[in-house]
Amino acid sequence: MIKIYVTSVPVQDQDKALDFYTNKLGFVKKTDIPLGEHKWLTVVSPAEQSGVELLLEPMAFAPAQEYQKALKDAGIPWTSFAVDDVDKEYERLKGLGVTFTMEPKVAGPVKIAVLDDTVGNNIQLAQML
Amino acid sequence: MKTFYEQQVEKIYGQHGLHAYQYAMARQSKKFMEEHYARKIELKEIAAHACMSSFYYIRIFSKIYGLTPRQYLRDLRIHKAKELFKENIIVADVCYAVGYDSLPTFSTAFKRGTGYSPKEYIALHNSNRE
Repeated sequence: MIKIYVTSVPVQDQDKALDFYTNKLGFVKKTDIPLGEHKWLTVVSPAEQSGVELLLEPMAFAPAQEYQKALKDAGIPWTSFAVDDVDKEYERLKGLGVTFTMEPKVAGPVKIAVLDDTVGNNIQLAQML
Repeated sequence: MKTFYEQQVEKIYGQHGLHAYQYAMARQSKKFMEEHYARKIELKEIAAHACMSSFYYIRIFSKIYGLTPRQYLRDLRIHKAKELFKENIIVADVCYAVGYDSLPTFSTAFKRGTGYSPKEYIALHNSNRE
């Protein structure tokens, strides 16, 4: 059976991204392997540390930077993370100084909110209702 | 000012064709499954918690969640079973604790949902832990 073991978000600065994804969002660092001027840097959910890894991927390819910027400017999330309670996470992250581009909103079967990850992306938080 | 994305979200869900009460009823039935997965529950009983006929309920639930109530209940039970396996509870006890009354039926459902038999899953979990 095929499975997803890693997925990625492109980031403008890997160290800054690691700080945001661990100290603000609450992920845990899993691998940090130097690769030339960049590194293979992944984080995991504290609840599933042997689960899917999120690669904080250096954004060094110019056309991809344009794509990332276009999504960012339109408010479109690069990806979406599941949380138990969107309202609670919204308040917690606002308290840590995180900027939201969309406040919690019910959209059919989910409640969603969108935040700025400070390294070039909008990230959606989703709670299945 | 709303972003392009937020405007699209509002547009899409405004046109989705379902009423707020249908979402509310489907959520209510989902909650019912989450509270009663540990015992045998019939579709009629779940549909009743959404105040719908079984036929109509399956259509609405599938439209909202992308899977049938039966599939949702199976996935929920498998998820709970995986949690119990991590606590070293034996397969037969887990089977009954998540609402199955037959070990072969549970094993088949577990394999279909995870790709592993319960025994294989336990072995894999234990080897990951070492």
